[in-house]
Amino acid sequence: MGVTILSQFPIDNKTGPQTIELLSKRILALGATQQGQFLVDCETYTSVQQLGHPRTVHVLHNSEQPATVFSLLETGTKTIPLATDGLFDLLMMKMSHFYTSKKQTKAESKGPRYEIGDFCVKLGSVTVSSNFKGILVEVEYRPCVVPALCWDLIKEFLQGFLGLSAPANPPNYLQNRMQEVYSPIDTIHQYLDHFTIFRKSPGVGLRP
Amino acid sequence: MSYSVNISVEAPIENQIQEITYDGTEIYQPPLTLSESLAKYAQKIDFSKTSELEIKKEETNEDAKSDTDSKDAFQSSLWPWDSVRNKLRNALTEVCVLADVLAIAKDKRYLVLDPVQQESLDTKPMVQIYARKKALAGAASVLLAGAEKMKNSQNEAARSRTTLDFHIELLRLRQNWRLKKVSNTIIGDLSYRTTGSKYLQTGTFEVTKAEDEEKTNSPPSSPLPGGPAPVKPTSALRVSIPSELQGVAYIEVLCQKDQEDLCTANLTLLGSGPPPSNPDMHWQQKLEAAQNVLFCKELFNQLAKEAVQLQAPVPHMVVGNQIMATVLPGIQLIIGLRHSTSSDKKQQNPPPSKSDHDHVLEHSLHQLLREVHHKNTHHPFPHPATGPLGPSKKRMLAGPMAADRYELLEMTKTQTLLEQIVQQAQHFIMRMRTEYVLDTIAKEVKDPLITSHWNTLNSPTQSCVKIHISTHGYDAVCRTPLIIHVGQKNLKCICRDGKVMNMSYEPQELRDLIFCHINQHQILAVQALAKTMGWQALGNSNHLGTGTVEPLGNASSCLLSSPTGDRIIAVRCEPSTGTQVSVAHSPRTDFFPSRLVTERKWEHLGGQFRDVRLDKMEGRNFLHKMELLMASLTSSS
Repeated sequence: MGVTILSQFPIDNKTGPQTIELLSKRILALGATQQGQFLVDCETYTSVQQLGHPRTVHVLHNSEQPATVFSLLETGTKTIPLATDGLFDLLMMKMSHFYTSKKQTKAESKGPRYEIGDFCVKLGSVTVSSNFKGILVEVEYRPCVVPALCWDLIKEFLQGFLGLSAPANPPNYLQNRMQEVYSPIDTIHQYLDHFTIFRKSPGVGLRP
Repeated sequence: MSYSVNISVEAPIENQIQEITYDGTEIYQPPLTLSESLAKYAQKIDFSKTSELEIKKEETNEDAKSDTDSKDAFQSSLWPWDSVRNKLRNALTEVCVLADVLAIAKDKRYLVLDPVQQESLDTKPMVQIYARKKALAGAASVLLAGAEKMKNSQNEAARSRTTLDFHIELLRLRQNWRLKKVSNTIIGDLSYRTTGSKYLQTGTFEVTKAEDEEKTNSPPSSPLPGGPAPVKPTSALRVSIPSELQGVAYIEVLCQKDQEDLCTANLTLLGSGPPPSNPDMHWQQKLEAAQNVLFCKELFNQLAKEAVQLQAPVPHMVVGNQIMATVLPGIQLIIGLRHSTSSDKKQQNPPPSKSDHDHVLEHSLHQLLREVHHKNTHHPFPHPATGPLGPSKKRMLAGPMAADRYELLEMTKTQTLLEQIVQQAQHFIMRMRTEYVLDTIAKEVKDPLITSHWNTLNSPTQSCVKIHISTHGYDAVCRTPLIIHVGQKNLKCICRDGKVMNMSYEPQELRDLIFCHINQHQILAVQALAKTMGWQALGNSNHLGTGTVEPLGNASSCLLSSPTGDRIIAVRCEPSTGTQVSVAHSPRTDFFPSRLVTERKWEHLGGQFRDVRLDKMEGRNFLHKMELLMASLTSSS
């Protein structure tokens, strides 16, 4: 478990697979080895009218924590994170009368996963309800748990293979949590932030 | 008395209470006057009792009765003395009559008094004796009958004590074992299934009444010389155990060194097991033995299954009732199931007692299986009521704690019983080897003393020993501590300077390491000693590059100079050849100019080293000799 930084990689006039290909070549040239695939998915449920005040539940799965179901409950004023056992999915099914899922908002990011020394790099192509939306690069620095202590190192590493499109500042979510101990739910927060942006964007891929 | 207590004495109420008024005051009857009380007591006297007798006597003598003096008693009932007066008058009348009769009889003219002949009973002594005899016989028969009855009841009680009641026995059995009734038979279960075992073999036994058995058995047991056989409390219960669970079983664990030894040990049966079963055993012991057989079978079955499944670098072998696993190169762990039934107990000869059987490992095997059983039944708390049973506590928490895939992978790794016991055996061997090496070195090397302290607390797979190298008499000057962690297949030595040495299972490596440290200790101790003597350490090297190549480690050396600087001692320690000490004088006391060295001043550059024959020197040990040497060299300057 370490600190994870998620950043978007722009696709200029290229398709998603081409961009992934480009980044893979770069990371492999640095000496990384591929260690399987990864998948982060997000499903959003909204409360029905009868419950009154509208609430949104985002249920996320991360293949890095296969036994865990993450959920973020947005009440409008605050966001309540929850990390639970796999049984939570079944619980959501039971609650389908109160929380209905919007199938067309199912977002996921999947792609190859590389390991290079203490870093773990994941190149994910994001799809929202099977429409390609963009590329997310996740970099995890495993030996450290405090973002402030390793942000510069990660930034340098990101610049090493993302070039100019590497982020100059930590992600918004992390900016006021730089001194705290990083936990997997923070990664989920970052993913959700990006997914929300992707959902609202008009999209680059072919739309049906 | 200062603490005397006032006691009020009150006469008891003698007067009767006549009335209690509503306000609680008691109104007593006035006490009787003297005359009234006399009359009351006189009324109570029953004169008729005495007068009655007199009347009867008179009646027998004479029927005549005169009522001459009978006066009227018409007011008797009113007067209190009436009854007394009446009685007195009656008595007077009778006395008068008697006096008259006596007066008439005195004359002997009208009345003669004849003595009445009393009829005497003829008492024959013989008849009396017979009668008494008969009476006594009657009484005796009554007493005997009673005694017989008591004896019978006592015998009954005694008999019921030797043969316990079937139902009471059954109750006791029920308290310790699982029983159930199937139609007309009582079936018990001695398997470990209720405590978490998943072994398929059933451990059912049948409970029957043993009455008929006892009767058939008693005649052959009676012809014993010297009265009745001592009655052993035989049980009214009989348990029949399936044949495969009869007898005695145990798991034999051996650690063997070479392949050849294995063949001979194959067929021997150890005599260290529990006594063989006999048919007269109490049901409790019988059932316990059977349960033990079942347990051993399950354990062996489990181990055999694992031995076949495990992919060990040297494959485990399962032959018959024996599992062979290679613990360390050249050392095998042999786990055998020894099951002796009562039928073949006569054939077996008392086997030669082998000390190889490892009771500790056998015990840990039992413990391991029991742990598995326990885990099967005891699920870690808390677990949700709807959640699945079985995963470990760590796995339960993995979801909410967001464990990553590496942690989850670690959780799936479980060790089989065989792996665990092999590890324990490995550690056992390693510990034994380490002990042996340390003990032999301590025996071999006398000069620096080697003491080893084993930690009393250790785990089945790890232990720790602390070694001190010190010289007798100089342990305050220099002491070299070493800590050795004995693991399963390796040794970890933490040296004096904090260096960590990892060694394999070969004992020679440890031996070499200790010898290296002995040398280092000598050099360090000499330097420490030199400091206390006022000498100066010019230099030292633990790994000397010069000289002959050592078979193990490097030679270490040091140079010491005397306080005035005119003597130099060089010490060289080699693990193989020991210590060499050389002394140089500069300048030499005598000088002979030669062609090469023409002037005396050149002698200040340092002289030739001359060896010191340490073995000829006085002193208990190396340091003592060095101390003497330094002292002698210092004083002469």
